[in-house]
Amino acid sequence: MDNQEKLPPEAFDDVPRRHLSALLDTIVPASEDGTMLSAQEMDFPSYLLSQAADFLADLKRILVHFDDDFPDLPLAERVALVQTFAESDAQMFNALVFRVYDCYYQDDRVRTLIGARPGPPFPGGHVIIPGDLSSLETVKTRGKGYRR
Amino acid sequence: MNTSSNHDPVDVLIIGAGASGAAIAWNLTETRMRILCLEQGDWMTPSKYPTNSQNWEAQQFGAYHIDPNVRGLETDYPINNQDSPIDVLNFNGVGGSTIVYAAHFPRLHPSDFKVKTLDGVADDWPISYDDLDPYFLQNDRIMGVSGLAGDPMYPPKDLPLPPLPIGMVGEVVAKGFDRLGWHWWPSDAAILSQPYEGRDKCLNLNPCSSGCAQGAKSSTDITYWPQAIRSGVELRTRCRVREVTVNEHGMADGVIYYDADGHECFQKAEVVIMACNGVGTPRILLNSKSPQFPDGLANRSGLVGKNLMFHPVGVVRGIFEERLDTHKGPQGSCILSKEFYETDPDRDFVRGYNMQVARGAAGPLATAFQGFRTGDIPWGPGHHEKFHQRFDHTVNVLALCEDLPEECNRVTLDPDLVDSDGIPAPKITYRLSENSRKMLAHGLARGEEVMRAAGAKEIQKVDLLRSAGWHLLGTARMGNDPTRSVVNSWGRSHDVKNLFIVDGSIFVTGGGVNPTSTIQALALYIGDKIKENLANLFDD
Ligand SMILES: Cc1cc2nc3c(=O)[nH]c(=O)nc-3n(C[C@H](O)[C@H](O)[C@H](O)COP(=O)(O)OP(=O)(O)OC[C@H]3O[C@@H](n4cnc5c(N)ncnc54)[C@H](O)[C@@H]3O)c2cc1C
Ligand code: SF4
Repeated sequence: MDNQEKLPPEAFDDVPRRHLSALLDTIVPASEDGTMLSAQEMDFPSYLLSQAADFLADLKRILVHFDDDFPDLPLAERVALVQTFAESDAQMFNALVFRVYDCYYQDDRVRTLIGARPGPPFPGGHVIIPGDLSSLETVKTRGKGYRR
Repeated sequence: MNTSSNHDPVDVLIIGAGASGAAIAWNLTETRMRILCLEQGDWMTPSKYPTNSQNWEAQQFGAYHIDPNVRGLETDYPINNQDSPIDVLNFNGVGGSTIVYAAHFPRLHPSDFKVKTLDGVADDWPISYDDLDPYFLQNDRIMGVSGLAGDPMYPPKDLPLPPLPIGMVGEVVAKGFDRLGWHWWPSDAAILSQPYEGRDKCLNLNPCSSGCAQGAKSSTDITYWPQAIRSGVELRTRCRVREVTVNEHGMADGVIYYDADGHECFQKAEVVIMACNGVGTPRILLNSKSPQFPDGLANRSGLVGKNLMFHPVGVVRGIFEERLDTHKGPQGSCILSKEFYETDPDRDFVRGYNMQVARGAAGPLATAFQGFRTGDIPWGPGHHEKFHQRFDHTVNVLALCEDLPEECNRVTLDPDLVDSDGIPAPKITYRLSENSRKMLAHGLARGEEVMRAAGAKEIQKVDLLRSAGWHLLGTARMGNDPTRSVVNSWGRSHDVKNLFIVDGSIFVTGGGVNPTSTIQALALYIGDKIKENLANLFDD
């Protein structure tokens, strides 16, 4: 899933963008209070072309399942249609969800909103608290706990 | 195919450059013998480890997966796990599985070496904790191990580095242990809490099991190997051994292997040391058939491949109200409890388990996708609310159980499946014993208790973790009786006096802790025994 072949932007030309956008928004819609972004705000085409090129053909096959009016339907109706698709091809749907989440949770805006550091973990890293070890004094008073 | 033999003979040939192969290579350097290690994988490039990239999490589902069947690199071999509820996990490259291990680094306990004497089950080891004691310390120093001395569950021991921070996760669950009056202790880890020997300290990145870009995790490619190579050991990568060959006297005389271009080569050697782990070693021995050894090399006991032990693992997942920073800090165990480690006659099982508090792979993608698979975090409306409840709020307690040896649990050669060089793949046949089942049930119930005591608001359980074949033990066991064991008390084959085994295959019983510290201490111990006996190494 890394070191994938990268595709040129034209590879995305025949992907119906409105359908894709609606599908992304159905899988990860914005939060009701508006703080969390919808997946349709991600640059999914760039993600797919550079990181998941082998999924492009599957994506095109998935989008064929959704009619012309799909992008204009209210969220609840889109959810019902996507659910029907999920039940008809669980494996393909699994792969789709993985790709949508992968793109979504790599986004630095999203990462900041969920309290994760933007960018790769290395070399910035994290700081964690040492933690309270004081009760180990009581643990020690239990005496030798091993057998020979 | 023609076999080429264009390499000079060597004194010692080690197969496998993982935890044990590295330790024994380093140990034997002072002999000034010509030592060669053949490794099927490559050297790793830390700057290519996933944590250098924005898409680090997705890489853990692909090229850096811990399951070789999913990873499927050229350097991997397939493993047939269909007859096992636990999948074998490993890594094949310089450093072996230490490239992906979580580096939790406990030693076996003194009682683990005497289970027959103390508890009337399985067999005693032919050596004791005290025999290995100096080697544990030597290994800790070379690897770089952090921990806190004074744990009453062990004889006194020193550790080269202070403990890693236990973080909020450790602190909260420790309070649960305290409320129940149970033992707990910060975990020993082969991860640097301070700069050490030219390596920098842990940056709390989290995904240790896809390689440590910081070099803080002690994998043997950055600990033993540089020292061994400086001292003259040759390490040849992309060399996959097919079989160990024998001469007319029934002594090992070398190996046949495939090089990077798939050429079949012969390497002559005076001594052969197997270090391919508890699955890789029996695989090659079983594949080394000859008129003297029709059932596989060193297999007159019929025990090569048998008595496979894992550590069956049950998981209790607690979801907490407060944010616990679970995506920060090493993913392995931060604290543990040995409350239920030793046999208690009031329980319905013998031996015991340790409870490890672990962050696990806790990044956002892993949280969201795992939640999708278990149905806990929906896609669509409601996704964010559930995600927020779980991300950074979920803690795992693992009950890691001792598994007793049984001959029916075994590694054999798959009749059909082969690797890319055509070498038969290992087939795993394994079932959970009644004792392990009861132990797991006990561990899961205690895990739930401690999570509740720690304040978890929601609890989930995984009765038996399938992706838990981390520890591969027992398939060429040690012992004094050649009819009941494959190697003697210092790793030498009973049947082939110049063949040694130093990996987890030689464990007689598995203990209830992660094994690598003990595997490496054993390799160092065997190295010293080889040196002591050098003048009459092959005598009866
Ligand atoms: C995901 C994961 C997490 C783990 N976490 C922990 C932990 O926290 N603590 C702990 O103690 N242990 C842990 N372990 C286990 C630990 O990694 C092993 O116990 C240890 O690495 C075993 O050492 P070894 O020398 O026996 O084999 P390995 O380290 O597996 O090395 C074997 C080497 O032999 C090579 N090899 C095999 N066959 C051939 C052949 N035919 N020709 C040439 N080369 C060959 C392989 O490529 C490999 O490099 C973990 C393992 C995994 C997979
Ligand atoms: S948490 Fe520490 S040991 Fe693990 S990968 Fe990060 S720096 Fe390395």
